[in-house]
Amino acid sequence: MEKIKQIPIVKKLGFNRIVLFAIMILMYIIFCATIPGFFGPGRIMSILNYAYFLGFLALGVTFVIATGGIDFSIGPVMFCCALMAGYTFGTYHIPMVLAMLMSVAIGFLFGLFNGFMVSFIGIPPFIISMASMNIAKGIASVYTKTQSVQWPQSASDGGWFRNIVKVGGFPVGLVVFICVVVILYIILNGTKAGRYILCLGSNREAVRLSGVNVKKWMMLAYVICGTLVGIAALYYVAAYTTVQPGSGDQYNNEAIASCVMGGTSMVGGLASIGGTVLGTFIISLLQEGILAYRLGKDIQLIITGLIVIVFVYLDVSARRRKS
Amino acid sequence: MGEVILTMKGIDKSFPGVHALDHVDLELRRGEVHALMGENGAGKSTLMKVLTGIYTKDSGTITYEGKEVEFHNTHEAQEAGIVIVHQELNMVGDLTVAQNIFIGREFKKGIMIDDKKMIRESQKLFEELKIDIDPKAKMSDLTVGKQQMCEIAKAISHKAKVIIFDEPSAALTEKEIADLFNIIRDLRAQNLGIIYISHRMDEIKVITDRVTVMRDGGYVGTLITKDCTKEDIINMMVGRVIYETPKTQSAVPADAPVVLKVEHLNAGRMVQDVSFELRKGEILGFSGLMGAGRTETARALFGADPKTSGDIYINGQKVTINSPEDAVKHGIGYLSEDRKRYGIVVQKSITENSTMATMEEFMSGFLINKGKEKKVTEKYIEELATKTPSADQLVVNLSGGNQQKVVIAKWLVRNCDILIFDEPTRGIDVGAKNEIYKLMNRLTKEGKSIIMISSEMTEILRMSDRIVVMCEGKKTGEIPIEEATQEAIMDKATRDIQ
Repeated sequence: MEKIKQIPIVKKLGFNRIVLFAIMILMYIIFCATIPGFFGPGRIMSILNYAYFLGFLALGVTFVIATGGIDFSIGPVMFCCALMAGYTFGTYHIPMVLAMLMSVAIGFLFGLFNGFMVSFIGIPPFIISMASMNIAKGIASVYTKTQSVQWPQSASDGGWFRNIVKVGGFPVGLVVFICVVVILYIILNGTKAGRYILCLGSNREAVRLSGVNVKKWMMLAYVICGTLVGIAALYYVAAYTTVQPGSGDQYNNEAIASCVMGGTSMVGGLASIGGTVLGTFIISLLQEGILAYRLGKDIQLIITGLIVIVFVYLDVSARRRKS
Repeated sequence: MGEVILTMKGIDKSFPGVHALDHVDLELRRGEVHALMGENGAGKSTLMKVLTGIYTKDSGTITYEGKEVEFHNTHEAQEAGIVIVHQELNMVGDLTVAQNIFIGREFKKGIMIDDKKMIRESQKLFEELKIDIDPKAKMSDLTVGKQQMCEIAKAISHKAKVIIFDEPSAALTEKEIADLFNIIRDLRAQNLGIIYISHRMDEIKVITDRVTVMRDGGYVGTLITKDCTKEDIINMMVGRVIYETPKTQSAVPADAPVVLKVEHLNAGRMVQDVSFELRKGEILGFSGLMGAGRTETARALFGADPKTSGDIYINGQKVTINSPEDAVKHGIGYLSEDRKRYGIVVQKSITENSTMATMEEFMSGFLINKGKEKKVTEKYIEELATKTPSADQLVVNLSGGNQQKVVIAKWLVRNCDILIFDEPTRGIDVGAKNEIYKLMNRLTKEGKSIIMISSEMTEILRMSDRIVVMCEGKKTGEIPIEEATQEAIMDKATRDIQ
């Protein structure tokens, strides 16, 4: 085992990520073998649809978790973005482009709010994100008068926005997703922002005493997260068109599960973009499989809950062994 | 000295990239105080961690009371009668002394905790040790020295047969050290085996019977203390003779410009109306006892803690410093006394730590120029002789002395003109100490100015050009090195403030 880990290519890709990839392939094979009709492009498209919005959520929250924080508001904020922008589009007939920008802007503002409260005011991330989760649900309900919101179908006016998922048979969404992943990878591993976010997640005081404005960089992590949540909202409605007010919580768990599975540490300081992407695909595949088995959403909630526990345990015990 | 109670033979332990222990032997007898010495990173702590079950050894045997043993955690070791009194105290500040001593094994009356019995038992322990501590006092109200005594009482209450003291005197005053030694002598008389880890050579001569010296993870040898000299031990530790001579004359010319002027600095109870000047190329020593307010002064000056009032001038210009960011911008670097908490990010690499204060120099556009980063880091690894396989090594894998060098590198990369070194050699061995001294002298020759806070008298006398003495939050004296004596400094450090 230790020998395998020392092989250069394994070291570069990360042993854990290789294992995750293998698990993903294995899951797919098992689903294909046990569920008639699972194999084929239809299911893959469906898995991708889920992976896009979940992926943006998970990537966003990866930055927050890297600082040692947490954000339980991402799911409901995503719904808030989709509801408010969609309602505005439907009721006030603003151009689709504006509606899309509005979604991203709402996500951005929630990120700014959470980040400001955590970094500058000093409210624990757990508390503030719980609060903004409820605020997001509340605002969305008030604004939409507790109605569900329908984004336009492909054929109707403004329905062109669904091209962000696919044009004809071509998966545009995947291209966008990969681009965003590459950009985020560079931000996390190649820029000052990423360096400081990871370092302050590990030892905030030491970074502060090095003359770094830790509050600013910490807030930035939440802003990145919020912005990605706004984008996630667009991919959600592009895939499913209808949004109900008052929900979205389950996606918090799925996004956080994707992060921790991918090797992002819940105590901060360690994060992996590639790992989060793999985690996202595993969760998406899992939900598709559970759907195909007709087991229902409840089973999936239980499984994602258990995944979080198992992977956080693995992280904690790995750290204990190291120190 | 009685019969052998503990034998460690051929203990071997490796961590990724580091051979931490290379077939180390150690023999301890009943009624013996056995010193374990060596430079930082020599493997003393690792050896003790193997003994008490924190680490598992790769090979070798531990024989305790005639039987081969292997403990899997400190609890098992404790049960068997081997306890450690740590350098860093493990006490819960908000609990009472008695509650701390019996934490995890409280006496019960039914389902209620029997506080009275714990207080009685603590009292008995203290009487046995002839120390005067109120078991009902809150732990956080005690001095560090008293807290240490409580640790010892706790260790003894475990019916210990072997007690390991890991640098117990590092934070104690002279008087407290004397008390500690009396306790250790008592324990020896009761036939306990005692392992004593310390860097203070004078203590070793006073209190120990034998000395085992380690170097770079290996066993060097064991001597009988009364038959050997300080120089013998030091030579075994470093393989060279070290001379420590105090400075007799300031190296700073009389007309050297003032680079930093602090006027009427106030920050809480620990910093009251402190004023001083620092000249170009000077090492300004800050002397005083624990709790004199020296670190607090440095932190307030650096913007790490808020100050209530006071003016700071750099090169004659008044500056505003409200955060470390401001201080660093004005060319001040701060090396904390607690490097793990305030100095380094242990889970990150040497490179990432070294360039942390100077990121803007390593940017090409939005991206970090990692090649440049690595080159600069490697330069400082070589210059400071940091022991590491590579610049990518995580700092957590380095020894204390080498971690300190990484923090120093961070400020050298930044090229700060004013450096605050807070206990720069605390917990660092003689060899690395000398390297740091040499480095400080080189830096001042290059025109940098250093504020050095130190609790070691020899260090203050050897390095400073001028000495500021503090006591209970106030500056009580300023002594040019030409007039400085231990007595003069001690007099000011202990002056009663009315």
